[in-house]
Amino acid sequence: MEDLFEQLIYGLTLGSMYAMVAAGLALMFGVVRLINFAHGEFFMLGAYAFWFAYRVLGLPYPVAGVAATLSMGLFGIAYQQTIIRVILHRSWHVQLIATLATSIVLTNLAMIVFGTQAKEVPTALASRILEIGGLRIAWHRLLVLAACPLVFVALWWFVHRTKPGKAMRAMSQNREACAVVGVDIERVALWTFALGTLLAGGAAALVTPLYNIFPDMGALLTLKAFAAVIVGGFGYVKGAVAAAFLIGITESLAAGYVSYAYKDAIAFVVMVLVLLLRPQGLFGRRLGI
Amino acid sequence: MALFEVQGLTRRFLGVVAVDHVDLAVEAGQIVSLIGPNGSGKTTLFNCVTGYLAPDGGRVVFRGRDVTRLAPHRIARLGVGRTFQLVSVFPRLTALENLLTFLQQHQEENIAARLVRTRGVRRHEAQAIDRALALLESVGLSSRADALAGSLSYGQRKLLAFAAALMPDPDLLLLDEPAAAVNPTMINQMKEQIRGLHRQGKTVLLVEHNMDVVMDISERVVVLDHGQKIAEGAPEAIRRDPKVIEAYFGR
Amino acid sequence: MRPVRWTAGLLLLVAAPWIVTELVPNQQRYILHVLIFTALYGALALSYDLVVGHVGSLSLAHPAFFGIGAYGSALLGTEAGWPFALALPAGIALAALAALAVGVPMFRLTEHSFAMGTLGVALVTQIVATNWVDVTRGPLCVTGIPKPQVGALRIVTLPGFYWMALAAVALVALLYHALTTFRLGRAFHAVRDNEALAASAAVDPLKYRMLAFAIAAAVAGGVGALYVSYVGVLCPGELAVSLTVNLLVMIFLGGVGSLRGVLIGAAAFTALPELLRMAPTWRMVIYGLLLLVVVIRAPDGLDALLRRRVAASR
Repeated sequence: MEDLFEQLIYGLTLGSMYAMVAAGLALMFGVVRLINFAHGEFFMLGAYAFWFAYRVLGLPYPVAGVAATLSMGLFGIAYQQTIIRVILHRSWHVQLIATLATSIVLTNLAMIVFGTQAKEVPTALASRILEIGGLRIAWHRLLVLAACPLVFVALWWFVHRTKPGKAMRAMSQNREACAVVGVDIERVALWTFALGTLLAGGAAALVTPLYNIFPDMGALLTLKAFAAVIVGGFGYVKGAVAAAFLIGITESLAAGYVSYAYKDAIAFVVMVLVLLLRPQGLFGRRLGI
Repeated sequence: MALFEVQGLTRRFLGVVAVDHVDLAVEAGQIVSLIGPNGSGKTTLFNCVTGYLAPDGGRVVFRGRDVTRLAPHRIARLGVGRTFQLVSVFPRLTALENLLTFLQQHQEENIAARLVRTRGVRRHEAQAIDRALALLESVGLSSRADALAGSLSYGQRKLLAFAAALMPDPDLLLLDEPAAAVNPTMINQMKEQIRGLHRQGKTVLLVEHNMDVVMDISERVVVLDHGQKIAEGAPEAIRRDPKVIEAYFGR
Repeated sequence: MRPVRWTAGLLLLVAAPWIVTELVPNQQRYILHVLIFTALYGALALSYDLVVGHVGSLSLAHPAFFGIGAYGSALLGTEAGWPFALALPAGIALAALAALAVGVPMFRLTEHSFAMGTLGVALVTQIVATNWVDVTRGPLCVTGIPKPQVGALRIVTLPGFYWMALAAVALVALLYHALTTFRLGRAFHAVRDNEALAASAAVDPLKYRMLAFAIAAAVAGGVGALYVSYVGVLCPGELAVSLTVNLLVMIFLGGVGSLRGVLIGAAAFTALPELLRMAPTWRMVIYGLLLLVVVIRAPDGLDALLRRRVAASR
């Protein structure tokens, strides 16, 4: 019984990571209709940024975490200004291929700069185990589980209460009307991107102490995040988050009880099943994010 | 039995009822117009009956056969042709090739039936090309037969789409706003084309905003408003119907 | 191209091994190796272009079919002792069946989901190849894959493999031409350019997409079988997503939807490592950047560029 509970905690932690990454992706798709294949790489780079800040520079955990997150935000802005701006108005084929190409470039650059060996960045909290009942849970997991809802509350606040956030919502519902009214689409795209990459970077800063870092971790993450976006209803952020948790928990349970090697495959199978049985996603087609 | 019947058709979008239990019957050889203010559900109805949208309720019957859940290409194969509101051609094919594509299925069935490229098959292909050229001639596009459809003007593409829909010799033709966004000369040409179809015994159901066209060529007019059928009858009667006037102009 | 130029070009290609031996005897093995890879890549790229360029479905699953053909024929050869003459068609058939199995659910999805779904298929296939060690030997790789043999004819020399690869790409090119030029090609292009209109013309989009997809997969499987018979070893890394990236570079660089374009792209792409003698990771960085630039700036590819230059100079 404790075993199951532990697996669930693992699943929720994993789900938190997927949810934050998927939320960023859902925002990008929902607001600017962009397929960003390189999204997983932002997580990967955020993870390496965190490693650099924590291990190499020796900054304390919270500072390193914030530094990693912000650096990803900046990177996202740079990415948006260079590549995204160009492909934003092109066909989705071009967007997909261009971002796929970017993903390959970033992955291989990471291999060159950081080496292909996996890195571990356990923090103090990650090594300390909490023992309750028969359970053994790393303190850091609890941190992640506590931080995740805070992140989403902050996201909700931003999207509903700030001006850029409202513009993003408006654009996700009716792009043409926004253009007519004079909303600066480029600006909104910039905000969306910054937000998306901040989420990815933040997710990396939070969960990296629990998992290994390696350069090609981005690809699988992108796929799973997209699976969550699709299952969640294509740009509907709450749906993507829920789907991400579903995927995280399923994957964790499958890894624990079915087969560790094939855990990634199982997550994908879930996606295909949902898509076939309910092509409009679990929550149906919603308007807006 | 009517050639084409819609029974209690209903379709919703995100809570809004776009088509609300609409009944419609079209007898063979008739020209029927479907009119109504913007947003009254006309094109949604078209998309439901041609298989592009799944209705939430009701039936579509063509020649006594329930075609409600059939895919668009199957409905087309049964003898229903249509044009689209936003003019639709194959831009990277020539005008001639555009028309020949509409006989693709027929030709494949023909080849399968004969299994080998005999003289019969070749004759069929030659006939297809002749038919295509004749149709292009009838819409005045024979000089552009080898031009890429994407290079044609809007009006020319509209005529091309019209000719293409006629290629497989459909018994029922659904025209979505044939007179929209074209100059008056073209409108007259369209009216003549539709009258020509009528003379050939074809059945036409058209959605149209241009009241002159509607009054001029229709035998019957059906009026939709907010997804519901509010009136039906001869053009003159519809023109004077208070419910119709109210729908268009308000109280 | 006129018949004279055709035959001259063909003779040149067939005579290549002797020409190379005459001109650059110490580079002979290396150049033939590059030519073999170019031909195989060319065939693979043509098959991929059928799906991407002619029916307009951005499938990312091609490495899976290449891998299924490769593993299928390799394992039948090493474990079950099947001769090449049977293993090759078996590889092709397995890939085609996999395509049908995958295609039926995948084509029900809209474009973005289709891309995602096919990417997932590719990733899952690689995961299975890596982890099903009992069957595929996983990272230990399948070794000792038998050389091609049909009756008494055994291919062991480099020139032999070269002619095999040349025959393969020539056959695929003929198939490509037949599928994309006549009535069937028209149907493919109709589905690609305006699916709703095609449906109203009684052209079943699913049928034609599946047809192109299955044929492309069959060819990919065949190339996979030929590839492993040449290299002799098969590791799960061959099924990586980077293969899709390479194929995308080839067809976009050369010219999507064009026979000549795709072949030019494949040749240029295979020649690149010669100009970029560097570590594989750096090479992938360059490929990625190249793909990025090409897809944004010149989506019509080199072939269109060359044609415009030729037309302008006339």
